[in-house]
Amino acid sequence: MKSVMKPRNRRTFLRELGVGAASVPFLSGLASLRASAPSRPAQRLVIMFSPNGTLPTEFWPDQFGPDTPLQLKPMLQALEPFREQTLILKGVNNKIRGDGDNHMRGMSCLLTARELSPGNIQGGSDSPAGWASGISIDQQIRNHLQTDPETQTRFGSLEFGVAVPNRADPWTRMCYAGANQPLAPIDDPRQMFDKLYGGAKERQLLGSVLDQVSEDLRRVERRLSGEDRRMLAEHMESVRQLERDIAAAAAQAEPLHPEPEIDPTIELVNDNTPAISRMQIDLLVNALANNMSRVASLQYMRSVGLARMRWLNIEEGHHGLSHEPDDNADAHDKLLRINAWFAGELAYLARRLAETPEPAGEGSMLDHTQIVWVNELGKGNSHTLSNIPFLLVGGGAGFPTNRALDLKDATHNRLWLSLAQAFGDHDLATFGSPEFCDGGPLAI
Amino acid sequence: MFRSTNCLLSFAGFLTVVGLFEAAVLTRVTAEEPIPIGKLYEQKCASCHGADGQGVAGVYEAALAGPRSVAELTGLIERTMPEDDPDDCVGAEAAAMAQYIYDAFYSAEARQRLGLDAPLRLELMRLTVPQFRNSVADLLVHFTPGPAETRARLAAVESGRRPRGGGRRGQQEAVAKPIEAGMRGLYYGSAGMNKANELALERVDQRIEFDFQEAAPVEGVPVEQFAIVWEGALSVPETGDYQFRVATPNGARLYVNFDPAPGIGKLRDDSGNKGQTALIDAWVSSGSLQEASARVFLLGGRKYPIRLEFFKYKEPTASIKLEWKPPHGIWSVLDGASLSTEELSRTFVVETPFPPDDRSQGFEQGRSVSTQWQVAVTGAAVATADEVVKRLPVLVGPARKAAGADAAGEAGQAAEEDLAVEAARRDELQQFIADFARVAFRRPLATDEQTLLRERFFDDQTDPELAVRRAVVWVLCSPEFLYPELARDEPENTEQLPDPHTVAARLALSMWDSLPDQELMQAAESGELVQHEQVQTHAWRMLADPRARHKLRGFYGHWLELEDRDLAKDQQLFPQFDDAIIADLRRSLELFLDGVIWSESSDYRQLLTADYLLLSPRLRPLYQPAEEQAAAEATDGGPSAETFEPVVFSPHQRSGVMTHPYLLSALAYHNNTSPIHRGVFLSRKIVGRTLNPPPVATAFENEQFDPHLTMREKVTQLTSHSSCMSCHSVINPLGFAMEHYDAVGRWRTEENGKPLDTLSDYTSETGESVQLANARQVAELALSSPAAQRGFIAQVAQHWTKQFPVAYGPETVDRLAAAFETEQFHVQNLLVRIATIDALRNEQASLALATSPTSAMGE
Repeated sequence: MKSVMKPRNRRTFLRELGVGAASVPFLSGLASLRASAPSRPAQRLVIMFSPNGTLPTEFWPDQFGPDTPLQLKPMLQALEPFREQTLILKGVNNKIRGDGDNHMRGMSCLLTARELSPGNIQGGSDSPAGWASGISIDQQIRNHLQTDPETQTRFGSLEFGVAVPNRADPWTRMCYAGANQPLAPIDDPRQMFDKLYGGAKERQLLGSVLDQVSEDLRRVERRLSGEDRRMLAEHMESVRQLERDIAAAAAQAEPLHPEPEIDPTIELVNDNTPAISRMQIDLLVNALANNMSRVASLQYMRSVGLARMRWLNIEEGHHGLSHEPDDNADAHDKLLRINAWFAGELAYLARRLAETPEPAGEGSMLDHTQIVWVNELGKGNSHTLSNIPFLLVGGGAGFPTNRALDLKDATHNRLWLSLAQAFGDHDLATFGSPEFCDGGPLAI
Repeated sequence: MFRSTNCLLSFAGFLTVVGLFEAAVLTRVTAEEPIPIGKLYEQKCASCHGADGQGVAGVYEAALAGPRSVAELTGLIERTMPEDDPDDCVGAEAAAMAQYIYDAFYSAEARQRLGLDAPLRLELMRLTVPQFRNSVADLLVHFTPGPAETRARLAAVESGRRPRGGGRRGQQEAVAKPIEAGMRGLYYGSAGMNKANELALERVDQRIEFDFQEAAPVEGVPVEQFAIVWEGALSVPETGDYQFRVATPNGARLYVNFDPAPGIGKLRDDSGNKGQTALIDAWVSSGSLQEASARVFLLGGRKYPIRLEFFKYKEPTASIKLEWKPPHGIWSVLDGASLSTEELSRTFVVETPFPPDDRSQGFEQGRSVSTQWQVAVTGAAVATADEVVKRLPVLVGPARKAAGADAAGEAGQAAEEDLAVEAARRDELQQFIADFARVAFRRPLATDEQTLLRERFFDDQTDPELAVRRAVVWVLCSPEFLYPELARDEPENTEQLPDPHTVAARLALSMWDSLPDQELMQAAESGELVQHEQVQTHAWRMLADPRARHKLRGFYGHWLELEDRDLAKDQQLFPQFDDAIIADLRRSLELFLDGVIWSESSDYRQLLTADYLLLSPRLRPLYQPAEEQAAAEATDGGPSAETFEPVVFSPHQRSGVMTHPYLLSALAYHNNTSPIHRGVFLSRKIVGRTLNPPPVATAFENEQFDPHLTMREKVTQLTSHSSCMSCHSVINPLGFAMEHYDAVGRWRTEENGKPLDTLSDYTSETGESVQLANARQVAELALSSPAAQRGFIAQVAQHWTKQFPVAYGPETVDRLAAAFETEQFHVQNLLVRIATIDALRNEQASLALATSPTSAMGE
């Protein structure tokens, strides 16, 4: 299917299109949108997920060590502008076992670092399983930040998705508010836009309609006798009052960064994935810039992602390709392009953050944001949960960057412990299953 | 300890309500008096009541005005006035004084003559909150096709092809299978991901409460993996929050009030139901029994689609239970009483919270507007616009896909085709909005209005869906929708034939609190609905609709003051009286009222004199006479917990609603009876008396009395002052007659070991003395009292039309009362008559009063 060119006048934007009522009452003033000067620098976390493992030979640099400047392989070329703010971690392994297949555990134990509950969802092999049995690291950090008025935000965290299939199971969820409480990513930019800016759009819509209602009321009032006019007069006054309230709320809620333009007519279909991805990233950066949230996740597809990336001229599904043996040169080439594309999206996210000055702070937003790129597997055709390609960009956690470390068989529980402590949660002694936390936070 | 309830003040606000409409009985007394009566008034009364009865600050501030007859006033003056010496004005002087007061400033006529009261007239009303919610629901229902057509339209969205044929509107669509009580259950054997692999059995299940343990649910499905889908319709008796709860160790999803989706027959882990959100999603199990619940706001008097999907995959056991908790109810398993196998489409429900409607006149009316209300209306309008835009493929039909770019032709040609497709959709949506406004405004749109609509919303620069969104918000905020009487351009001339669309609009409001349906609109379109017979025929048809029954349930609440009652009792004294009992009592009362009113005889007298209670197995131990209980146990093995069966009492023990334990418990303290609450209720609501506000606010505090006294003795002591007795001479005898019922409404014969004394002298409004000792005598008193019947009629009319009946003409209540008596107190007849008068408002309405509406009854 080719995408249909739309005539010019169809290109309306959400800026014009009034949107949903449900998320934000149109009268709630959102004064907190404007960031005030903080007493300590802001820290933000963005977790980005892409599925089906990586190509180890194309991902890992040739040299590791704290003192060796980072060299990026060609697959990661898109990240070259941010190389000095990049940290690659090898040898971090997901050792969680128990029910469920590796894709399931790779996904639902990735950020929770805890076993799955027994359940009724059957994978390709192994025993059926249910949801993860604990909170995920992004939510752990979110909860920590929400306890402090200075780091508290309207949403706490935002879960973005790109091309996530409409189903809820352990393969499609990585964020958990707690045991058996998966959080669904929002993969529709319009829905996310509503959630973030719905109130403003609604106010705009109502402004124009209420004008007409006032006019109508004046017209019918003329037909009424004195007594009945009283109620119409009250009615007109209440409409005027509402118009005033809306104007006041609008003025109060004016965000620091204007909302991005989103094409409301975009269809949520596979072939539009590149455009949807950019919209989601724009919305994500915008929400962080407006201090609506300090934690976000960006989930591409799901574990076992089946996307057919025709925009890269690849007709086969991603998951199928990832199963091909190492010596299949064609599959290798395609997987290279697929992972290079994900690296490009990550680079776009980093660039948008780098271009945005830190609100009420120094440097760019990237200097204060920790991006963590994760995957449910180390390598597609072996389904290993070892050597998961963890790649960190940005300065949010304050880890030294411009280097690659080989941590040689460290549990990923310990990585999340380091991250939590970097975000100020110093009281956290273990994260996920305690038996995998020996040694405490990783020294990175 | 008694709660210190200020029982006397609590009814002060209602005093003028009931009796306002009673036509004054003019019994002129001619008496020769040496001193002009006006002078006597000045001497004996004016110091407290003012020269013109306007009241005196600090003494007696209320104006002398009200609904009492001259005879009533005479009795009152004779017994109680002047306050310091009630014997000073008696006999002929009292009668003359009453007449003087009545004519000079007390009566409605006098007050109008003096310009003290505005003339009672039909006021302009906005939609009440229930009317707003129901109108919006039916507005969308009007455009919602039946389930088969909905599925076809949604399938077309996916395939890109438009369905053939227009499809019928409205919810009725030919359903092949007969409609039964319960839910249709489809039992499947599963194969891995494919949960609905093979249909093994289809049957109707009354309740979803199964424990399959380690076995297969039915023969022919594998014990290790199977799935069951239950689907049907849920009937909802009242408006409010409904909670649902699913308990299972396996996987389940519950959908309530959804659009039937094209792919809903398939059941896979990975397909979900397109575009639908499960109310409860417990699809993934977690190794133990999971209990998930959710809440949804639903409008009463309607049915909603409901669907439960369930599957087992390799878990050791399987079980599933579906429960609900309706408003005023407790958690119970949903059963065939509320479920049917009917297939339905979605009904949109506005959930936006609204401020309550004005009740200053004693019943809900749309007679005031506030910013809060405006905010609610606007929020509801935006939510409705969301719903409309989201469901355009269902409500209007799917948009045609632009085929342009796929065709082999030139690019220019393709773009042109796209533009044509777009223009066609724009026209379609514009037509939809014109229809939407027509249905919402309850009348056809004039040509200039259609033009205006187009110019306002559908210019070429605006995205047509945005135009729809704006237009929907505008329609629901406009005066034509919110004030049904303003929908017409010209004020109505009562000399002329009424406009049929206006008649249809009024009829739909009074019968359903909603918009006219298709049939009513068609009748208006073809110029029917101008003769009272035509209107009555429709009224009868509409009375059979669940929406009318739901509206009448609202009347029960209004008449019997059922809302916001706290029935909680002292658990030491009444340990069995728990939430389950209270919920059952309420259901028992509603079933009783429904049973009487919707029976063929529909007899008001039955409401007051029935000698039975409807009791569930839970209620029997508390209320059933012991001998009956033993007999019942001997005969059957016990009916299901939700079955209510009539249990007959000896006639002096139970007599209609006033002896129903729900009401008796509501009108009592948490640890004792309250003759004052019961007496006030009976005075105002059953025997049709009116009460003045208490001159002194007095609270009943139990600890102030000698504990050896009976309740009757305490109340007698408390109200013994002459200023109290002007009302309590009415209240107390009625309340004392109910002392046979304890604080939870059980029959008793003694109190604190003393035999009960329930006998007192009661003086009727015409001055006659009657002895009252039990509830049945109170009922007989009411049945012999025209004021009681007029009071009932007025309350029905107020609930039905939101107007005072006297506003339809001074004789209205009297004429309704005359017809009521002639027709054996037939409540359904009364409802139809009231609706007809409201709809026509001209001499046809008078004809409706003069002739019997029973001719249409058989239809």
